[in-house]
Amino acid sequence: MDDAVRALAEGLGPGGAVVAVGGYGRRLLLPRSDVDLLVLHGDRRSSREVGAAEQLFYPFWDAGLDLGHAIRTVDECVSLAAERVDVACSLLEARLLWGEVALVQRLQDRLRPRLAGGPFLDRLREDVEARAARFPACSTDLEPDLKEGSGGLRDLHAIGWAGRVSEEAAVRPTEAGALDAAEEFLVRVRSALHLETGRRTDRLFLEHQPALASAFGFEATEGLAAPDALMRALFGHARLVEHVRDRVLASRDRMVEVGEVATSEDVMEAFAASATAGAPLGPAALDAIEAAELGDGPFPWAERTRRAFLEILAAGPAGRRALEAMDRADLLGRFLPEWEAVRCRPQRDPYHRFTVDVHLLEATAVAADLLAGRRAEVPAAAGEIEEPDPVLLGAFLHDIGKIGRGRHVEVGADVAARALERIGVEPATRHDVLFLVRHHLLLSDTAVRRDLSDENLVLDVAARIEEPRRLAMLEVLTLADAEATGPHAASPWRLALVRELGAKVRHVLEAGDMGPDRAALLEGRRAEVRDLLAGEPAEAVERYLARLPRAYLTSVAPGTAAAHFRLVAPSLGAAEVRSIAIPGDRPGTHQVTVVAADRPGLLARIAGSLSLEGLAIISARAFTTEDGTAIDLFDVTPAFHGDVEEERWRRFRRTLRRSLEGRVTLEHRVAEKRRHYPPPSSEVPNHVRVLNDASAFATVIEVETVDRIGLLFDLARAMERLGLDVRLATVATYGERVVDVFYVRDALGGKVEDGRAGEIERRILAGLEDPR
Amino acid sequence: MKLVTAIVKPFKLDEVKEALRSIGVNGLTVTEVQGFGRQRGHTEVYRGAEYQVDFVPKVKVEVLAEEDQVQPVVDAILKTARTGKIGDGKVFVTPVDQVWRIRTGEMGPDAI
Repeated sequence: MDDAVRALAEGLGPGGAVVAVGGYGRRLLLPRSDVDLLVLHGDRRSSREVGAAEQLFYPFWDAGLDLGHAIRTVDECVSLAAERVDVACSLLEARLLWGEVALVQRLQDRLRPRLAGGPFLDRLREDVEARAARFPACSTDLEPDLKEGSGGLRDLHAIGWAGRVSEEAAVRPTEAGALDAAEEFLVRVRSALHLETGRRTDRLFLEHQPALASAFGFEATEGLAAPDALMRALFGHARLVEHVRDRVLASRDRMVEVGEVATSEDVMEAFAASATAGAPLGPAALDAIEAAELGDGPFPWAERTRRAFLEILAAGPAGRRALEAMDRADLLGRFLPEWEAVRCRPQRDPYHRFTVDVHLLEATAVAADLLAGRRAEVPAAAGEIEEPDPVLLGAFLHDIGKIGRGRHVEVGADVAARALERIGVEPATRHDVLFLVRHHLLLSDTAVRRDLSDENLVLDVAARIEEPRRLAMLEVLTLADAEATGPHAASPWRLALVRELGAKVRHVLEAGDMGPDRAALLEGRRAEVRDLLAGEPAEAVERYLARLPRAYLTSVAPGTAAAHFRLVAPSLGAAEVRSIAIPGDRPGTHQVTVVAADRPGLLARIAGSLSLEGLAIISARAFTTEDGTAIDLFDVTPAFHGDVEEERWRRFRRTLRRSLEGRVTLEHRVAEKRRHYPPPSSEVPNHVRVLNDASAFATVIEVETVDRIGLLFDLARAMERLGLDVRLATVATYGERVVDVFYVRDALGGKVEDGRAGEIERRILAGLEDPR
Repeated sequence: MKLVTAIVKPFKLDEVKEALRSIGVNGLTVTEVQGFGRQRGHTEVYRGAEYQVDFVPKVKVEVLAEEDQVQPVVDAILKTARTGKIGDGKVFVTPVDQVWRIRTGEMGPDAI
């Protein structure tokens, strides 16, 4: 190449020079690199000289080579170098190919004093920061830019340039070898990428990684695919480059220095000081840490270490930088050997942008910011959390099980338990952290994949979470996890669903509809029913248990629930009505169960049919499954003492069927029947309350009144006329006083609008006072 | 050719996808969308404070179909995406003038 340029340069007039700059200047031409040439003139140049220089360039273009070209005077070079640090640096490396040595000498003599010391380092640092913000990092990003990305080739050049202008910025002998190896690796990968793509591209996209991995001889090992091994090696090299770069370019005036560093406790505290100050450790501190005789680890965790570590986790982005500095200095893994398996580990899915370890650090930083209120928008959940440590540790460890073996959530709980044991976290916190690790996907997975209007679903999620306190922790972790994953995971679309689920679960937990006791009761009841139904097909039993409303499971005795299996499990025809009547718990009472496809007015018709047979309803429980099967249980007793013979049950069934078929209307007959009964003997004032906040899924209507025959029929008819669907009803009789509670939804399947509450109260009251 | 566009509840996506695959649909586009229909937004009570959910998250599924496949595609979506509750979504059918497969340049039905 040099010879070709020299031959072409012969056409130029005397007094000029042709120099190689950039990668060509450094004798580092990759397969698809551009060739950077500069034609240098003294003080002025003629148009003839410009024309001659252009003649020099044409053959390159004709040959299809990318040519970076410039024609400048020494003055122009100097002023351009003042503006752009990359130009200045590339001129420092200018290599004469042809022409006047003196000219190049003059240029470099004029440049050198301008490129000395602090100000130049400041400019390099600004350039490094600007690139880090713009390009995907070689140290963490799954599709890195090998040249411009943080830890990439430009950073290596910056280290070199810094070393030329400042002795303080010189590379230490201990680092030089590793830095050379990193450079060789990066250059080889970039060359291979150029060959693979046939283009000058520096972005190592996922699609290129398998081919490059095999070209470099990386092989899959247990839990780590070959492309992942390539990327892991790349991340390792790039992180070393970052480590040296940050030390070399560090601004001396905003660094944290610490006192003596002799033990691992001192090390953790030094990094905690750096995290809380929001500034990196100074060279003296780093030298002291490097010089301390700490051994290979794992280091023991003293109280001081633990406290300092938690300070780092709580410090947000500054804490993340401190942990990254520990990682680059090969310290984090010696404190926490569990970290090694996720270090530099790529994850390949459409959501994640970063390696596992970086994702964990980022999630921790986001969680810390949310908890400390350092965000513009702080979710309400964050404000409820009094003890930040479980959330911070949970964020730090939530994906620690992503080590390529088994399902990461289960593996993660085991690994996290070991890590927490090592750190010496106290049992209550440990319990919370493990809960978070085990359930970190619960909210996000459920919110996106399941029907949030399904009450059973929400109750089951609540049963796993148990307390509002733990829900708040899980919500903060879910948010931090999503944000640390990437823009797709934290889209407003996803977050809206997660927030809806969170609000519903909170409602259920705070209303007491679910909690540790109820969750345990529910699980116990399920187990009992399972035992009682051991002879039935297990799959059908599980389906049955999943369908049953949770309120049914907690309020109906397991024996009864098992007896209902035959009634509920077989699929039900639209017009089919199944019922059984068995002796009740108390003498003289009977328990009647009716199962039918839910429809408007079903409850009223059952209650009316019972009343017509002279059966007084002592208590009633009406349930509806999410798929629209009504399971209604009634405890009844004959209004006038006496046995209930089979003939009466037969008549009841017939009346019910005929009324459901629309062949008889009950209202008239129930009113008629009522005349045969004595009026209530005591005064109970009528109360009706409509509560829209008591349940997340239904409006609750409470009715208190005096008992009378046909009361439930009247109330249920009133609900039907109001267009309300009774999802759950309980009727309790206290002597002559009756308290009925109805959970209703409107015709659209939601709670009734707040504006209707008054109308509902009025109409139910009117019906109570004037039963027709 | 027609473009069948369905707006469905997010948790119904897998069922819809399976149903379409089972009738021979071998390509579709899925987008996460937010919006509102008759259902409007709804009010959630969160820590005692109400907040208005203006836009409800849904999934948009788009399928290109030849004339004789349109009704089966629509039926499959109607059947699987239905919960019977409010907010089940909509299906639209719109005419498509032309379609190209970018890789090969194929046109019309061949490009579906």
